[in-house]
Amino acid sequence: MRSIEHQDPTMTNQMAGEMAVLEIDSLVRRFGGLAALRQVSFAVNAHEVLGIIGPNGAGKTTLINVIGGIYPPTSGRILFQGRDITELPAHLRCRLGIARTFQIVRPVQGLNLLQNIMVGSLFGRGASLKEARSQSLGICQFMGLSRVDRAIAKLTVLEIKKMEIARALSTQPRILLLDEVMAGLNVDETREMIDLVRQVCAQGVTVCIIEHVMSVIRELTERVIVLDHGEKIAQGPYEEVSRDPRVIGAYLGEEE
Amino acid sequence: MSALPRSRRYQIAVPLALFIVVLAWWHPYAVIEGVQRAGLYAAIALPMALILGIVGIVNLAHGDFLMLGAYLAYWFAVHTQGDPLVAILPAALGLFLLGAVVYRATIKHVIGSSELSQLLLTFGLAIVLQQTATLLWTSQPVSINTEYTSTSATIGSLTFGTYGFVYVAAAVIEFAGLTFFLQRTRLGQAASASGQNPVGARIVGINVDRVYLIVFSISLALAGAVGVLFLTRHAVFPLVGGGLTFKSFCLAAMAGLGNLRGILWCSLILGLAESLVSTSKEYAGWADLIFFVAIVAVILVQSHRRQVT
Amino acid sequence: MAFPLYAGVYLQHTATIILTYLCLALSWDMLVRTGQISFGVAGFFGIGAYSAALTALNLKLDPLLSIAVGGLAAMAAALVLGLTTLQLRGMYFAITTLALTEIFRVIVRNLPGLTGGPEGTVLPSAIFDGDPTKTYWLLLAIALVTIAISEAFQRTRVYFAITSIRHDEMVARSSGLDIFKYAVFVFAVTSAIQGIVGASFAQQYAFVSPEGTFDIDFTLLPIAMCLLGGMHSTLGPIIGALVLGSVAEYLKLQLPYGHLLVYGAVITLVILLMPQGVAGKMKEQFVREQ
Repeated sequence: MRSIEHQDPTMTNQMAGEMAVLEIDSLVRRFGGLAALRQVSFAVNAHEVLGIIGPNGAGKTTLINVIGGIYPPTSGRILFQGRDITELPAHLRCRLGIARTFQIVRPVQGLNLLQNIMVGSLFGRGASLKEARSQSLGICQFMGLSRVDRAIAKLTVLEIKKMEIARALSTQPRILLLDEVMAGLNVDETREMIDLVRQVCAQGVTVCIIEHVMSVIRELTERVIVLDHGEKIAQGPYEEVSRDPRVIGAYLGEEE
Repeated sequence: MSALPRSRRYQIAVPLALFIVVLAWWHPYAVIEGVQRAGLYAAIALPMALILGIVGIVNLAHGDFLMLGAYLAYWFAVHTQGDPLVAILPAALGLFLLGAVVYRATIKHVIGSSELSQLLLTFGLAIVLQQTATLLWTSQPVSINTEYTSTSATIGSLTFGTYGFVYVAAAVIEFAGLTFFLQRTRLGQAASASGQNPVGARIVGINVDRVYLIVFSISLALAGAVGVLFLTRHAVFPLVGGGLTFKSFCLAAMAGLGNLRGILWCSLILGLAESLVSTSKEYAGWADLIFFVAIVAVILVQSHRRQVT
Repeated sequence: MAFPLYAGVYLQHTATIILTYLCLALSWDMLVRTGQISFGVAGFFGIGAYSAALTALNLKLDPLLSIAVGGLAAMAAALVLGLTTLQLRGMYFAITTLALTEIFRVIVRNLPGLTGGPEGTVLPSAIFDGDPTKTYWLLLAIALVTIAISEAFQRTRVYFAITSIRHDEMVARSSGLDIFKYAVFVFAVTSAIQGIVGASFAQQYAFVSPEGTFDIDFTLLPIAMCLLGGMHSTLGPIIGALVLGSVAEYLKLQLPYGHLLVYGAVITLVILLMPQGVAGKMKEQFVREQ
């Protein structure tokens, strides 16, 4: 039912007070003549896990990039904890508490596993080297990452994916944007990852998750929004949304 | 190779035309000199922009290949007592072949590597060319005087040199030829496709490596031919190319990387600005700063635009 | 390090020159660690040289103090330039620096009242009255400070910042890192080092001129040294400076026209054949054998 309350994000702000961590208001992003996002509005509530789904090319990653500040929206507003951050550069958004992972993993090759994670702590939180090291070691333990002085080339796919999440967590975010972290993992690994995301959420971090694997979405999220051709076509609990004829139409020809 | 949208084009073209008219009335020599300079700069910058747009590499040795073409013509003119302009075809051919060799031996191996390696490699090539020229021909400037370069025309009370317009003609021919090549020929279309999306081009069966080789060679051939034209009116010395490379990049950056038509306009603006400063008595020495100021302005504007749009 | 004390004047002189290039090479490498290339080393070297010479001459500043002024002047120039041009990094920045040396030369030539114009300016006497031993100690001190800064850049949070920026700007930004701030900071520090080295060079020879001071040697040799020794470390540029620096003087005598050809060839060949440089190659071998 919450989904209905949040139809108008500007209203949400007044009504729900501190409930919404992140509010997206009529976001548009064009690349040349191509509209990757068209008038997308929604809100993310504190402590929820929100799923963002949609067929390939629906604009999911563009959405994350705009929220993260990689590039500005063509029009529209982004509010974080009630504050307008539309004009804020990426590094300041991170320091406010927005962290993300990348769909195609982006480890920093010149740094080892632990050092990669420390980057978030050092610059996202402004920690000292010593603090960053101990905090990152703690996160590694939490994530089940061992032998932390290995080079990136020596890591498995799962470990690199975990490293991405660990680097995001080390900035101590209020909200974590996960861009297809399950892609390329086997069943057991996916299981492990789902548990990790649950634990992250239990620590009070709000999570937005883009995912193609629908079983993950079903299991993790309370609510999803569906994008198609840059437009939000549905939102609500997964079970409800998956029966929506528009959503089924959008996915026609895709695997689910 | 997209140009500006039509409305934006008028926003630039109309004030520019007005400015030229006012300037021509006030200081006609500066305008004639400026247009001639613009032609030269555009003729030099176009081949560099071609490589930048299609191969995606900044060729920091661009001006030095031009210098090589000029020296070839000088050598030819001195040995045969002939007109250096006759050397245009041999110089273009020679540099075309040199381009193929240089591409195979060097450039090919840094395609896909970091921008840093590409810049360092072409910088190294530039130094090798400059220093080889110094060894072969010493650092003394050389020049060739022919009668036709001092032809002049008189309109009313205004007498001016007409030979400089050969650069304007060269730039226009070059632009028309490159546009025709890229849009109308199979090879040129393949080149455009490779420039926009090398992976996609490879998938549809384009031999991207061969396209790059030919584009690189064409660019060098043009640089060589323009070098011969350059010699007919300017002194040539081993280090002459460095400044020309920089100016070419300024024009390419100002026009938007890969936009050939924009180079014509931008060289007109900077050519006029430069000639205006250099024909003034007190500030002539500062004319060399014009392009530098322009590139800094371009960087500021572009970084601002990236943050806003 | 103290060996030149017992050696002849010629060796002392050579050692001083090697140290000069060592500082330039190391400072160039420090900027490369952020992923930015500067072709403007000779420009900042020249600014430092001119600032030192002119303040020493006109304000009667103590030579050592004027060297500090040279460093500050180069740093100020780098700040102005960095704050504008480092907004767009990569090739835009690199090519802007390519023109720098020439730009500074034009400025110096066009202000004859201040700089002596094309003929340059002569100082009444060289620093330490031309004592080669003291000059050697001065350059050694500057080199040690440069090495210390380079090591600091490898061991503090600066290392994490510049390595992230070099490898992946998007990750750096998304992790809360202010790329622009770090790029400008490193550019200012490395330019200050180049300015100080240029200033001590001017004080050493008691002469500055547009051609001699803004000499392309001061850009070209450091780059070739770093590439040969291996980039992104303190050791690589030092090895490169020792190797190339000791043959540089000999080459200059043997090949007065075109000795720079060797450095151009070194740059080209190293990029093509051995991008990690000598030190990098040795490290690779070492890792493989373990």
